[in-house]
Amino acid sequence: MIDNALIALDALFDPMRLAALFAGMLVGMVFGMLPGLGGVAAVSILLPFIYYLDDYSGLAMLLGAVSVVYTSDTITSVLLGAPGSPASAPTAIEGHALAKQGQAARALGVGFLASMVGGLVGSLVLFFAIPIAGPIVLMLSTPELFMLALVGLFFASSMIGKDLAKGLAAAALGVLLGVVGPAQAAADFRFTFGQVYLLDGFSLTIVALGLFGVAEVISMLAQGGGISHQRMEVSQWGDGFRDFWRHRWLVLRASLIGVLGGFVPAVGASASTWVAYGHAIRSTKDKSKFGKGEIRGIAASEGANNATVISDLVPTLLFSVPGGPAAAIFLGALFSFGYYPGPRMVTQNPDLMFLIVWSVALTSIVGAALCFAITPMLARLTRIPFAIIAAPLVLVMVIGAYQATSTIGDIFMLFMLGALGWLMKHGGWPRAPALVGFVLSGPMEQYFWLTNQIHGWSWLTRPGVLVIASIIVIPLLISGVRKLRQWQSNEAVTEPEDTDTAEECNRSVALMLAALAATLFLYALWETFTFNPASRLMPLLAIAPGVPLTLWLVFRGVREFKPDLARDAGELTILAVLLAYAVALWAIGLTIPTLALLCWMLLARAQMRLWTAALYGAVVFAAIWFLFDVLRGDPPVGALIPLS
Amino acid sequence: MRKLLTTTAALAALATMAQAQDGYFAGKSIDVIVPFGTGGATFVSAKFLEPYFEKHLPGNPEINVIDRPGGGSILGANWFEQNAKADGTTILFTTSSTANPFVLGQEGVEYRLSEYRVAYSHPFGAVAYVSPSTGVTDAAGIKESSNPLIYGGIAAAASDLPGLLSFEVLGLDVKSVLGFTGRGPVRLAFEQGEVNIDYQFTPVWLTQVVPSVEEGNAVPLWTGGAMEGGVLKARDPVAPELPSVYEVYETMNGQPPSGIEWDAFQGIASVTYAYGLTGYLHPDAPQEALDAFAAAVEAINADPEFQAASQDVTGGARLSAGPETEAAIKAALSPSDEVRTYLRTLLSEKYGVNF
Repeated sequence: MIDNALIALDALFDPMRLAALFAGMLVGMVFGMLPGLGGVAAVSILLPFIYYLDDYSGLAMLLGAVSVVYTSDTITSVLLGAPGSPASAPTAIEGHALAKQGQAARALGVGFLASMVGGLVGSLVLFFAIPIAGPIVLMLSTPELFMLALVGLFFASSMIGKDLAKGLAAAALGVLLGVVGPAQAAADFRFTFGQVYLLDGFSLTIVALGLFGVAEVISMLAQGGGISHQRMEVSQWGDGFRDFWRHRWLVLRASLIGVLGGFVPAVGASASTWVAYGHAIRSTKDKSKFGKGEIRGIAASEGANNATVISDLVPTLLFSVPGGPAAAIFLGALFSFGYYPGPRMVTQNPDLMFLIVWSVALTSIVGAALCFAITPMLARLTRIPFAIIAAPLVLVMVIGAYQATSTIGDIFMLFMLGALGWLMKHGGWPRAPALVGFVLSGPMEQYFWLTNQIHGWSWLTRPGVLVIASIIVIPLLISGVRKLRQWQSNEAVTEPEDTDTAEECNRSVALMLAALAATLFLYALWETFTFNPASRLMPLLAIAPGVPLTLWLVFRGVREFKPDLARDAGELTILAVLLAYAVALWAIGLTIPTLALLCWMLLARAQMRLWTAALYGAVVFAAIWFLFDVLRGDPPVGALIPLS
Repeated sequence: MRKLLTTTAALAALATMAQAQDGYFAGKSIDVIVPFGTGGATFVSAKFLEPYFEKHLPGNPEINVIDRPGGGSILGANWFEQNAKADGTTILFTTSSTANPFVLGQEGVEYRLSEYRVAYSHPFGAVAYVSPSTGVTDAAGIKESSNPLIYGGIAAAASDLPGLLSFEVLGLDVKSVLGFTGRGPVRLAFEQGEVNIDYQFTPVWLTQVVPSVEEGNAVPLWTGGAMEGGVLKARDPVAPELPSVYEVYETMNGQPPSGIEWDAFQGIASVTYAYGLTGYLHPDAPQEALDAFAAAVEAINADPEFQAASQDVTGGARLSAGPETEAAIKAALSPSDEVRTYLRTLLSEKYGVNF
């Protein structure tokens, strides 16, 4: 085994292969930084090129791209607050809050190092794929996978926040978004309103970009000025290294959570990242800083997401079952080089297996180092007026969203969910539970249904199920016992002092959102009765708490109502402009609305001088066309005026 | 002698190149639309065929394989309906996942698949196998299973349909658990012992199931069959040692299958298996383009490079094209009213599909 490992290492150090690996890594870094474009886009772009290379070089190129995306996305998440990829939404929450406090270097340092550890743990798991990881994957049948989803939900419950009603309503809303589209259990298409677009449900990328990215861009555009009001020092990495070392065990635990997430077929890095983030919240005594810049949140989520994409390769290589979307494309590439993954391939081509291990390990380290190197340059961007960055940022998000199905529906969804995210942000609803509900509702429903169909209720006594259940039960018991002791010793429960300095939510927006959500839930309740009984369970799980909660929130909203909508009038205008942009894209195609949007942002918002704006706008516009061209070839064409 | 051979080969190559340069597709580029994601079996197959078509189509056009996933392939096919060029340079390369919703008249289908012209087709055989825990040792003994048979699938109206219909033809009592995300996870569930009867398509059969069979962890049963004189009764060349569903029925009942169950199975199974991957052209595509594809298919099938590569990937399956192929596909895409009614009733009553 060691022999093969060394042979593979030698094979990788062929200059051509190293060049391919690092070329892939650079593409992966760029795509990791572009919000909405991640591993899948990077790998799809590289796919045509690998056929010009030999098999090892081609695969190394893809692996270079896959294993660095979740390292470099940290930069966008922290500096801009828009998740660089869906799985770094927790990093965007915590890291961006830290960046606003002038602690970007600390957040980035921990993020890069945690990503590197996640990548290395993933490689180690891959190294022991045959003796250890393979049997674990085979042990995870549908009942165990269902239990894992429950564990995720349990960890996620710590994200609800202080306003219980709003947190739960947000989670229920997320689950409701998650059940749109084909039901797992029976042949029902739920809440599609006869739109073919909705037949597949919502794309995770669009939901994450809409809820977090668009809403963030709107706020920053309205505030004006740069991203950070304080000078952002990112040359001092010492704090980051110290923080990383202090939380090393958390990073390691998060990486293991990520590895487990990778073993579950077709569950991407998002689910395990949220679970790891939830774990970080649960395992932190002073929870008050979560949501306002907690370094442990970054350490956990970055450790998890990189571990997931790499351990995604375990089911891919051992069973030909892709663990995630990027792994699916990698599987296709293996096919086209004539490798047919399976237990046989792994024993017949051990060199290839170790080549993969070395590639991801090497990229994890070099990628993190490179991120450290380029960040000081990128951080300067945060000093220039945000409106200048916002223009390309919005357009890249549009392209990222457009990757889902390449129909105008993607763009509408992006901005409609952006509006929802904005309402939630200003109405005081936490967005994390909504995204978690969205991510987990699919696997939960699917595995519950399959489990019950195959095993009846006997699955409850399976040893694997009991082991996983203990992850939930033991912490509950411990905290129960602790509470009991405190109660016996009559000790006052010392809750950490609430240091909530965040601005109060906008009452009008809160009322609007509550009314909107209540309408959605009531409509969903009505439509649910037309489904097969098996397809009703999951929607009802969202609707049953959703209806009373949102009605209560409407009632509360009316009681506390203040006509304070004008406070956020500036942001509302920007939201309206973005929605109008989406409609114009649909009506008259890409070119004219995009030019108009660029003019408005650069001249009206950023107040650039005419000739600078013209030059900069032309460069951005050309870059956008170039991206459309390499990614797909045809930008949206107008429905009323057939321009593109 | 050897020198003479090489010279002849070189001359032949020159001749084909000369012929190719002023062929129908000279200076054009062809877009192959795959309505599924990159990395899926259909996309990989399109990429596999791409260099051979570039080499053998007259004029050596450049071929771009483009993925347009969504709506279980309906979005990509609808896009083709609206945007395909009539000169034969846009191809919709797809499977029964596009054909079945069209045949069943599902909501959201805008494409007129039965009016499209057929450029070429590639078989996509499927093999059924059971777990040894059932005690079943061959196809004829399937009804003597010691455990209830459990089949795992994705959705009744998608590519699982021919498999489910084969159970109807053979009169098997199989519990179908639908809701898996793909055939890969179903294979994993088979390995884990959660399901015990399964169908897999050729590439997976060759690379994943055959090793399991050799280790004694799976018992092969039958194949979907191949077309012979308009009937789906011949053995599939991928696994010629296994009987077709047609033969299994004959062995079990002493007479060839007939009736509505068989008609429905044959119609759906032929577009799923025998013509599993089909390249469709715009309804107004010129005959010249169709002839060019037919000639290219013949040349590709004769290309030793293709023969060697396909041996590894698809067990040596060959492409088909021309009027006979087109007629068979169109017949399967426009079934009789009885068959359509039977399918719709079966799907809505047994599997809860809403139309």
